[in-house]
Amino acid sequence: MQDSLQTALRIAASGLQAQSTRLRIVSQNIANAQSTGSMPGADPYSRQTVSFESEMDRTLGANVVNVKSIGVDSSPFKLEHDPGNPAADEGGMVKMPNVDVLTELADMREANRSYEANLQVAKQSADMLNTTISLMKDA
Amino acid sequence: MQLSSVYLFEVGSQKAQWLSARQTAIAANVANANTPGYHAVDIQPFSAVLDSSPIELATTNPAHLSLPQSETGALREVEVDPAEQTLSGNTVNIEQQMINLGDVNRDYTMGSNIRRAFHQLLLSALK
Repeated sequence: MQDSLQTALRIAASGLQAQSTRLRIVSQNIANAQSTGSMPGADPYSRQTVSFESEMDRTLGANVVNVKSIGVDSSPFKLEHDPGNPAADEGGMVKMPNVDVLTELADMREANRSYEANLQVAKQSADMLNTTISLMKDA
Repeated sequence: MQLSSVYLFEVGSQKAQWLSARQTAIAANVANANTPGYHAVDIQPFSAVLDSSPIELATTNPAHLSLPQSETGALREVEVDPAEQTLSGNTVNIEQQMINLGDVNRDYTMGSNIRRAFHQLLLSALK
């Protein structure tokens, strides 16, 4: 069996990875909040979503977290009147991405918080390993 | 040499093992803090581990079967107030996990300091 503290470190690492993927998707969504299609009436950027799953890692013997899927949000696009836009249809309406910046910011804060929590666990597991090693210092 | 101080090392190492197992449980909870349907886990309290320490039978013959060792790190689900469960079915309370993390760290440091002190005691008798 592997050392529990090393296992804890690996689990925290999986959490960090999952949260940074989430942060990447959030930044992608915010960056594309105004990305319209290039042709008249074309669909704009669709918001992307991340979902996590808990997975049993057999080599570790513990539950790590993984990105289950990166999906596409199928909620309807917002319509804006902007006849000068290259993506405007005959009526002058432009389909805007279904990205809500407020939702993305809330998601970003949560990802940030979870990332910090995972980092704390990783730091502390390393500290505990060092405490054990330092027992040998003055032997 | 009294046996009691040797027993202290035994308990100390058991406690360290238990704390590492608990750290693993906390790490799993924190990593899965945003996983839909995940239920927070913890391990059984240390007093229960001490009480259930099995008395081992001597295996004097290869045909003897050894008793299964009790598992220190056996996970069990934490009971959570249904009001604290998120809409996605997740029951991890990240603040509670951070408090547990602090507890584990403090106990681990204390345990290793105690062991260091007793180790120095033994060494001073030897040198």
